[in-house]
Amino acid sequence: MSRFLSLASSLAKLMDIVAGLALVGIMLLTSLDVILRYFGRPIQGAYDIVSMAAVFIIGFALPRTSWDRAHVTVDILVDNFPAIRRAFWVGTRILALFLFALLAWNLIKLGLDFSETGESTLTLALPLYPVAFALGMCAVVQCVVLVADFARTGNEGGEHE
Amino acid sequence: MNEVTIGILAIVVLLFLFLTGIELAYAMALVGFIGYIILVSFKGAMTVMAKDFFGTFSSYGLTVIPLFVLMGQIAFNAGIAKRLYDGANKIMGHIPGGLALATVAGVTVFKAICGSSAATTATFAGVAVPEMDRFGYAKKFSTGIVAVAGTLGILLPPSVVLIIFGMITEQSVGKLFLAGFVPGLLLAVLFASVIVGWCGINPRVGPKGERHTWKEATETLPEIVWPVVIFVLMVGGLMGGIFTPTEAGSVGAFAVLLLTLFKKDLDFRKFVKSIRESLRTSCMVLMLIASSTILGHFIAVTTIPAILADWVVQLPIHRCVIMVLITIIYLLGGSFIDDLAFMILATPIFFPVILKLGYDPLWAGIMICLTVMIGGVIPPVAMNVFIVKNITKTPVGIIYSGVYPFLISMAALAVLLFVFPQVALFLPNALMN
Repeated sequence: MSRFLSLASSLAKLMDIVAGLALVGIMLLTSLDVILRYFGRPIQGAYDIVSMAAVFIIGFALPRTSWDRAHVTVDILVDNFPAIRRAFWVGTRILALFLFALLAWNLIKLGLDFSETGESTLTLALPLYPVAFALGMCAVVQCVVLVADFARTGNEGGEHE
Repeated sequence: MNEVTIGILAIVVLLFLFLTGIELAYAMALVGFIGYIILVSFKGAMTVMAKDFFGTFSSYGLTVIPLFVLMGQIAFNAGIAKRLYDGANKIMGHIPGGLALATVAGVTVFKAICGSSAATTATFAGVAVPEMDRFGYAKKFSTGIVAVAGTLGILLPPSVVLIIFGMITEQSVGKLFLAGFVPGLLLAVLFASVIVGWCGINPRVGPKGERHTWKEATETLPEIVWPVVIFVLMVGGLMGGIFTPTEAGSVGAFAVLLLTLFKKDLDFRKFVKSIRESLRTSCMVLMLIASSTILGHFIAVTTIPAILADWVVQLPIHRCVIMVLITIIYLLGGSFIDDLAFMILATPIFFPVILKLGYDPLWAGIMICLTVMIGGVIPPVAMNVFIVKNITKTPVGIIYSGVYPFLISMAALAVLLFVFPQVALFLPNALMN
């Protein structure tokens, strides 16, 4: 069990590093683009690259955000009545898992559609399907993290760490 | 059951789900998805879900959020705020309530490079409250002003809340920044007036601080100048149409990074921490936006926003009353859910109503931000008060009692904006048309 937890946590952290690199990358690329444009030599397709990198920033940060429980929740009821938290905890985890499993399936399907139709970005003609697959993979890892998060706290649903 | 009934039922289910402690974004996506299946089709719902998530996550426009958050996080972790506060302190600390005035001044300048209300509040709670303690300021006064001043970040550009509002209502972020500028500064002045008034009535709450020589005071000026220069570069470029908001965010973040590296305020560890925190906030916000897009598609099918707008317009009530009611709904909703999440959830429903009433979209954005600010400092869920409580270990009740007098300033600004919408509108109209 602890091996599974550390695997999930390492995976989330690793993906978070990719997300961080993408964020710093677009900051540098866009700043450079602005400077070069001033000299009349803008970077071709910066818009396309930024849009695609955005998927890596947000999608790859998703598992770690869930692992750290950084999403907004309404705590006013569940914090004051731990019994309610316990009662709903299993149910909400199943719903969350259902959502991301569905999303993973949907995104992979979208990727298949993109690869069939050959959809791509406007300027650089970057194919969209690998990006949809990457986002689908994020949703898969998110499912793993949700299961791990559940395993780490048991069915208590209480605060961890 | 017709569409409207299903829509209303879905909203009730959504509110119930919120209470179960589920992540708000997940609940919104699920309710939107299932509602869409019921009203349209399973296949349609699947397509909407995939396209909405992919579209939101691969949106060029929305990259502005992580970039501005990153800029604020770098400024926060590099400790720029402390220098700004020390600088302001040397200039005005020696007058009654001066350390509190310096807090407002410090926040206003720090805000120029940090769009996050939470980061601003956390910084000043750690920096300004101990200093005010040292000079015997009343605890409710020192903690109250820090909690309240932190909210200025929501109105003053480059506010992340304004950016999000602009994204969900398709308004120009540049124009919204300009619209928030004068009301934000005005509110800072109104906060200062309450400080002066309070110290006038009861001088014991804010005794005089240390007096510094003019030389000492002027030496701190460069600290204040740099953030202002970056701000002018960023917002100026945005206004002049030289930058897109994403470029303004990138240039701003890069400039703050260079400044903090040059001043040796930032090491690798702090830089990594800034990135990590930015990713958490941005991912949380973007998940909310993606989910609210799915929910929004479902709500649009229910035709509720259009029916609501038509119904409200023909009511025999003055539009001001309706607008006040809408702001009250935002305040209540924000209090029980989360101010930002509620804004993302409710704006697609109420924005068409506000437009139909004939209000200016920029003005509406500023009014809604003002409600988010007030929501941040009033019970039961006051984000800024909780941050100050955690950092200063002051009981929540004491902080609230220090916050209430400042609500007068916020209410005064709201009234002023109602009577003179130009307070918000003249700057964007003059500079960007």
